[in-house]
Amino acid sequence: MASTATKIPAELKRQVDAAIAQYPPERKRSAALPLLHLWQERFGFISDEGINWIADKLELQPINILELVTFYPMLRQKSAGKTHIRVCRTLSCAMAGSYRVMENLYAAAGIARGPNGLHDPFLVSKDGKVSVEFVECLASCGTAPVCMVDDELRENVDPNAVADLFLGRTRVTPESGQGSGLNINSQASPHPLERRLVFKNIGRPDWTTDIDCYLDDGGYQELKKAVTMSRTDILNEVKTSALRGRGGAGFPTGVKWSFIKPDEKKPVYLICNADESEPGTFKDRYIIHQDPHQLLEGVLISCYALNVHTAYIYIRGEFPEGTKILKRAIEEARAKKFLGKNILGSNFDVEVFIHRGAGAYICGEETGLIESLEGKRAYPRIKPPYFPAVLGLYMCPTIVNNVETLCHVKHIIAMGGAEYSRLGRPGNTGTRIVCVSGDVVRPGYFEIEVGAVTMGQLIYEMAGGMKFGRQLRAVVPGGSSAKVLRADERFKLKDKQSDGSTIEREISIDEIPMDFDSLAACGSMAGSGGVIVLDDSRDMVWALNNINEFYAHESCGQCTPCREGALWMKKITDRMLLGGGVMQDPGTLKTVADNIAGRTICAFGEACAWPTQSFVEKFPEDFAARAKKSAPPPLPPEYTPEELIAKGKISTVPLAHDPGWEKAGTAGTI
Amino acid sequence: MAETSPLVNVQIDGVWHQFPKGTRVIEACAQLGVYIPRYCYHPKLSSPGNCRMCLIEMGLPRMGPDRKFESGADGKPVINWMPRPQICCAQDVAEGLGVRTSSPLVEECRRGVMEFLLINHPLDCPICDQAGECRLQEFSVEYGRADSRFLEGKVKKPKRVQIGSRVTLDDERCILCSRCIRFCQEIAKDDVLGFTERGGHTILTAHPDKRLENNYSLNTVDICPVGALTSSHFRFEMRVWFLKETKSICTSCATGCNTIIGSREDVIYRQTPRENVAVNSVWMCDYGRLNFEYLTSPERLLEPEIFSGDKLQPADWKTVISHTALQLRHFSGRDIAIVASGRMTNEELWLTARLAQQLNASFIDIVPRKGEGDDILLSQDRNPNTNGAKIMLGLEGTTGASLEAIAASVAEGRIKALVVLGEDPTEFGITVEQLKKLPSFITMNILRNAATAHATAILPSAAYAEKRGSMINGRGRLQRLNRAVRPPGQAREDWEILRDLLQEFTGSNGLGSIEDVFRQMAESLQPLAGLSLSKIGDLGVKVMATPESSATPSPPGEPSDEEFFERPPLHAVK
Repeated sequence: MASTATKIPAELKRQVDAAIAQYPPERKRSAALPLLHLWQERFGFISDEGINWIADKLELQPINILELVTFYPMLRQKSAGKTHIRVCRTLSCAMAGSYRVMENLYAAAGIARGPNGLHDPFLVSKDGKVSVEFVECLASCGTAPVCMVDDELRENVDPNAVADLFLGRTRVTPESGQGSGLNINSQASPHPLERRLVFKNIGRPDWTTDIDCYLDDGGYQELKKAVTMSRTDILNEVKTSALRGRGGAGFPTGVKWSFIKPDEKKPVYLICNADESEPGTFKDRYIIHQDPHQLLEGVLISCYALNVHTAYIYIRGEFPEGTKILKRAIEEARAKKFLGKNILGSNFDVEVFIHRGAGAYICGEETGLIESLEGKRAYPRIKPPYFPAVLGLYMCPTIVNNVETLCHVKHIIAMGGAEYSRLGRPGNTGTRIVCVSGDVVRPGYFEIEVGAVTMGQLIYEMAGGMKFGRQLRAVVPGGSSAKVLRADERFKLKDKQSDGSTIEREISIDEIPMDFDSLAACGSMAGSGGVIVLDDSRDMVWALNNINEFYAHESCGQCTPCREGALWMKKITDRMLLGGGVMQDPGTLKTVADNIAGRTICAFGEACAWPTQSFVEKFPEDFAARAKKSAPPPLPPEYTPEELIAKGKISTVPLAHDPGWEKAGTAGTI
Repeated sequence: MAETSPLVNVQIDGVWHQFPKGTRVIEACAQLGVYIPRYCYHPKLSSPGNCRMCLIEMGLPRMGPDRKFESGADGKPVINWMPRPQICCAQDVAEGLGVRTSSPLVEECRRGVMEFLLINHPLDCPICDQAGECRLQEFSVEYGRADSRFLEGKVKKPKRVQIGSRVTLDDERCILCSRCIRFCQEIAKDDVLGFTERGGHTILTAHPDKRLENNYSLNTVDICPVGALTSSHFRFEMRVWFLKETKSICTSCATGCNTIIGSREDVIYRQTPRENVAVNSVWMCDYGRLNFEYLTSPERLLEPEIFSGDKLQPADWKTVISHTALQLRHFSGRDIAIVASGRMTNEELWLTARLAQQLNASFIDIVPRKGEGDDILLSQDRNPNTNGAKIMLGLEGTTGASLEAIAASVAEGRIKALVVLGEDPTEFGITVEQLKKLPSFITMNILRNAATAHATAILPSAAYAEKRGSMINGRGRLQRLNRAVRPPGQAREDWEILRDLLQEFTGSNGLGSIEDVFRQMAESLQPLAGLSLSKIGDLGVKVMATPESSATPSPPGEPSDEEFFERPPLHAVK
């Protein structure tokens, strides 16, 4: 079986063995994704031969590998162009013109559209030089529209100069970009309303990713301090800090950590969730790319506190540069004895490995991530019984924490939990990074004390307000899955008084404090901190359709309601945009969403249902305007007679995407 | 007996019940007669919880400040109902658990899931093999909608995919429950099925280089709740509602998997496994399942024939039996050898033994039949009733020990009358030339073989699905065959042929029915004491400890059948 026609270069074999060595010997399957990446980097795509070779190498069946190749969109089964361009399709980029980027790229590269319009998995130019692919959120919404040219991110892409992307002429210049042309990397000096802790070094012109730079700035002091503390003390500091997870759910970190028994016999794993992919969120990208040692220090302190000897950083596949930076950081830290055997003379051994994903949003869900790390399709697990803290990675107790959360641990050790908890508001402590994108003058990242800044301050003062002549229409406050807030809505907040009583007050959207509890009280959530701003030029059916397409594409397909419902909702909004909306559509959309939320294995069900539920409820005028037809269009045939298939009259190949999107206007404006 | 688990109190639909710890909630409900609809859950496989059809309301007892359950007016715990519906296929019962199986929320959940499952389903029930035994159809009756709100194009997926030589897949019908994938991983230990693509475009498939070819592949068709996986053999052959179902057992090896034979108008269309945790769990192998085509073979012996006037001539049964007896009367016991078959039933073997006794035959044995086995269900012993043969014929040690001596005696001319029941003598060392020379060669069989043309009497008999009787499987379990179809032509049930032949020597023996034969056996044989054909029941009775040398595996995932064995072990046969 192992006989392959292709000669496997010795270098690749060495890399393959090194990749396998990252995982316990009886868990070789975990190396499936790393091996697929290595194969694709070497040969350009995953051939049948590659599938068989990898299956053989990992003592798996070929179907186990084929399952992965077709699940993770970054893996391809045919050759791409010499330059492969991935254009972000998701909301913030679409609002900034990524559909025009895509159309112009097709034209510039001389690629004829396939049967699925812009949504073909990817198409290659005739000369084989360029291939173009529409992909979901690349986590750089603040510099939309963005592309990846091979492994390199291009920000603020000018839709009118897309040929530059593959002709290798220039990088983007401030003059060429649309919008403000502001490069987010130059966002160096913090806004006065900011309180920088985790993002202290982000954007500093004198800052590099070298360990020396980090050490000169007092780096790894907290790790040195932590290894002199007892595990219980560190846990107590984290508990006292009342830190809540920054990944989306806002679960108290100290409580999560305390699920690990102090006398646990099985190995305990720590996984850093660096699969940042919630549309609207782009904070972890900066930490990984600009301050990797801060993350590593947070990881190492947490490993020590939880008695973890093996930690994995699961980084999303679309961060190839970040992967390299983190790998280098690990080697630098090892050289300085911060990692490896007997770190800092503490008798504590710890290894940190990087595991790269390959383009699946669902890997951000912690049990999906664990399955993916085990070398399987990222199907989230049922809870009970598979709570990660009990039956996580390799059925061992596992803590999964977000990148930003782990960075905060370092600052909690530095400040002490009690001092840290004085930042922000009770129950909503510390700082957090809020990412603003969409229709504002200065999109970008802002680290604020939780709750110390209101939505109005964030949009109008920090993000520069609305574009000229435009009014605020809607805000999605915590990543695209958060329920949308309407600009003229009134919200009721209950303020706790010092005597324990509560006073209810009515506020506008501008007055909402940016914290977990207030946003929850307003019927939405703080989520991952990605704030997407929509102005009065936006058609809400178009916006919802963009979000629906994202979730239809990213649903893992495991549970019935989400698999069927997400695609159905997308098809309904597609049809509405094409002028086929019927009067029943808003009602159907709502009940379909209602039938998904709360009925699935993981929170993706809510994530894909909440946008539909909230957009339809809060913008009935937009939906009614596109749902005017009374009679439904003729029904599709109830079944496909087999002879039609036999005669080749009906395609039996699944479509990767359904066509129709682009006809709605490239930027979704009415 | 297995150790009993402690009981816990569970409230189901307002009434408190007790269940052993470790019972799945879905099974606890089933025990009360409340069937929770499900697709992905299968009691013999792991629970992925993906179909979401079994969502119900659950709650846990409210805790007081003293960490004890708060009691209501009835003295029972007060239940805090969870706001979200929960799946009950992966949840074990727990002390104080509350369950509501039919609330408005539960109904709404089921309606929602049904709608989702059907929007992209082809609804080609009129031409679907699963129609009539399809879970989608069944639950549509209760939770389906009359109209469709789905105005979009359905997702197109591959159709008529041969994922293995015996299984055909229609991906558009597949509801992605993953039962077949889990079966291949957990029971067949052949991980060849998987999902490719993602989300609403997910398809079930096998890798083209490694397809579903294992000997258990057709079980995936049984457990497929919809018409996605169909048997290439049964496909389009018969609407399932026309099939008459007969409970029986498979006779292709010593395991004796319990089966349901599906037949119509004396033709068998399919054979499916029937649950018996002591024998085959709910599975059976493809080899056994499909091994019924020979019943309609053109080689079937349809008429009794007798050697007369230098050739074999058809005659009526009465003539053939009396002439057969006449042939045997020419010889003394020293000249007679009887070779029976491990495929015969206990009753047939019992009558064979009585005939041998009557004739004082010098040899009696059966032909052993070995094949490759596995540790799932297939036994190396391909005779379904070796244990029965040993008991009935009083054979010691390994079977087939006398075959060499019989062949030698035939060759030397010492044996002058050879009686072969259900076997082919050319397969145990007797040549056609030798058969031709034999003064008397009497054969009873189902199919024509290399030897039949040279017989002096041919007694056409019935195949396993055409008769009644009992067998003892490789693990010592007495099981029952039932008649699904009638024997073709003039073929008769073997026990009747043997009884009639025996009567030629003994006069009327009072054996009017097969029950009489069993009664006679049970009176003489200790392991069968107190039993009758009807007392064996559908699931059989363990009558002897599993022989140490048994090559018959214990069913996967089930407790050992020794735990159920309460009868004393086998002693010397009278």
